[in-house]
Amino acid sequence: MNESAGPWGAAASAPARALRGFAIPYIDMIWRVRGEVPVDASLSPEEAFARLDPLLRTPGTTLRVEGGALTYAKHNPAAQDKLATFTRGRLWIEPAGAGAVLRFDLFSHALLLCFLAPLLFLGFAQLAVSLNAYEAAAAKAEASQKDKKKDEDKPKPVKKLNPIDEFLGAPAPEDPSKKKKDKKDDEDEGRHSPEPGYFLAGLFAALYLLGRWLEPWLARRRFRAALAEPVDSAAS
Amino acid sequence: MAGVQVGKRIIGADAPVIVGWENIPRVQGGPIKQFVFTWFQPAMLFAAIAFWYYAPNWLAVASTAIAIRLGWTVLLLALEWVNPRHASWQLTWKEGVTDAFYVGLGMTFIGMVDSYIGDGVIIKAVQGAFDWEKFGWFTGLPLLVQAVLISMIFDFGQYWMHRAMHNWHPLWLTHAPHHYITQLNVQKGAVGNPIELFLIGLGIGGLFDFLPRAFLLAGAIGMTVGAYQHINVRFNTPRWWRFIFNTTEHHSVHHSQDYEATRSNYSGTWIIWDRMFGTCVDGEAEVLGMEGGRRMHIGETMVFPFREGWRDSKAWLAKRFGTHPVASPPQAGLEPAE
Repeated sequence: MNESAGPWGAAASAPARALRGFAIPYIDMIWRVRGEVPVDASLSPEEAFARLDPLLRTPGTTLRVEGGALTYAKHNPAAQDKLATFTRGRLWIEPAGAGAVLRFDLFSHALLLCFLAPLLFLGFAQLAVSLNAYEAAAAKAEASQKDKKKDEDKPKPVKKLNPIDEFLGAPAPEDPSKKKKDKKDDEDEGRHSPEPGYFLAGLFAALYLLGRWLEPWLARRRFRAALAEPVDSAAS
Repeated sequence: MAGVQVGKRIIGADAPVIVGWENIPRVQGGPIKQFVFTWFQPAMLFAAIAFWYYAPNWLAVASTAIAIRLGWTVLLLALEWVNPRHASWQLTWKEGVTDAFYVGLGMTFIGMVDSYIGDGVIIKAVQGAFDWEKFGWFTGLPLLVQAVLISMIFDFGQYWMHRAMHNWHPLWLTHAPHHYITQLNVQKGAVGNPIELFLIGLGIGGLFDFLPRAFLLAGAIGMTVGAYQHINVRFNTPRWWRFIFNTTEHHSVHHSQDYEATRSNYSGTWIIWDRMFGTCVDGEAEVLGMEGGRRMHIGETMVFPFREGWRDSKAWLAKRFGTHPVASPPQAGLEPAE
């Protein structure tokens, strides 16, 4: 790059462009977010990074400016850390047309884990199905050895409502012997239901999509707001 | 910090806690907002009771309760959005997803384990040992009395289990991760080590014979009262309510960074248990957590009781027999909150 016009020329030629670590085209978009926000052309890179400093300098965050790029890493950031979702990141400034842009390359453990969470819950659903199958087989084997105990020999008494509740119009309890008949249909389904697992897998897939859209949008907004905010000389 | 004397204790010496009701902020906004956030809690409690009292038998089933709970959660999340108690407790995407993970764990894995070794199984095993028929007359009591009994019996068990967790080191190790939450949100009750979540779920209510509808009513009371333990919503909680029931205010004191304050308000639904046993502290706190508000991530939450238990056992053995040097220095801030 030979653009030397403007204050960005020297810095733009040097910085390492991206985050170290995995760089798998397309697939790494699952956990990586790249983007840019416009920067006031009159700002030097140092000034721009100084404006980002309050946003980035939070407990558990290490910052390093090297070769014209700012790299940060967060160790278990606080819940209210504005960039808590992105635990590592690299930011640098590049000329763009007449002005310049702040480019960022962010890495998120949270997005990756949220992407993988449906697999875990599908696993739990599968575990429920397998346990049901195993228990059904075990029960069958047991039944063939022993005569099946009859539950019906002791019919349960029909429970009555308290007169106060009868007066107030609460529905009377069901006959327990009648209920048993309906229950027989459910017996084949087993002790565990895989449905919560399926539901949660879907929920986490939806949460992932929400996060993959929302979190980069918020990060971009926060970078833009921080860059627009002049550095308080007393604070810096 | 000077703190405030409550009984024989000084509350708020380590971290800010507002003691008493006089200085608790009120809901800000117009008359409609004031009205909604003053009457929401009692209105929902009475609506839930009325629904489960009159719902026909085909509707008064567990699956309806699950559907209602889901809708209820969404409604409470919306309230957090509309009228947050503290900006510093705002639910972020990452916090929300983390909370959902713990809820999911409870709905799947812990539920499966529970079906083998949970209270249902234990109760079945001990039921044969006594003549529980003696309690058969319970089913003849008015439904609401049964429901309140179920709810109070369960909460009584929770109170003592929770208090034990704050007073006996091995149990504290399972409960400590829950105290690392730094803000209260709708699903934060599910955040914690699975062993703790299993233990706190154990109840003795199932020992007694109640009508199924009474259990559903008790569930409704638990849902529309216990839900406010962990929530970031500012309510003008009625005086009678906060005298009988646990509130966000009470539970925020329990979660504060102040050591003495955490040793209060152990009940889940009925704060009157705390009033009876001398552990109630009325008030609220915003600054929550352990170790100065260090957030505990999911991985550490899962291993914490084992890791700390292992360290403590080694240290104890070394101290007792003096043969092995202590491998690691004792961790600051990991003492039980007692």
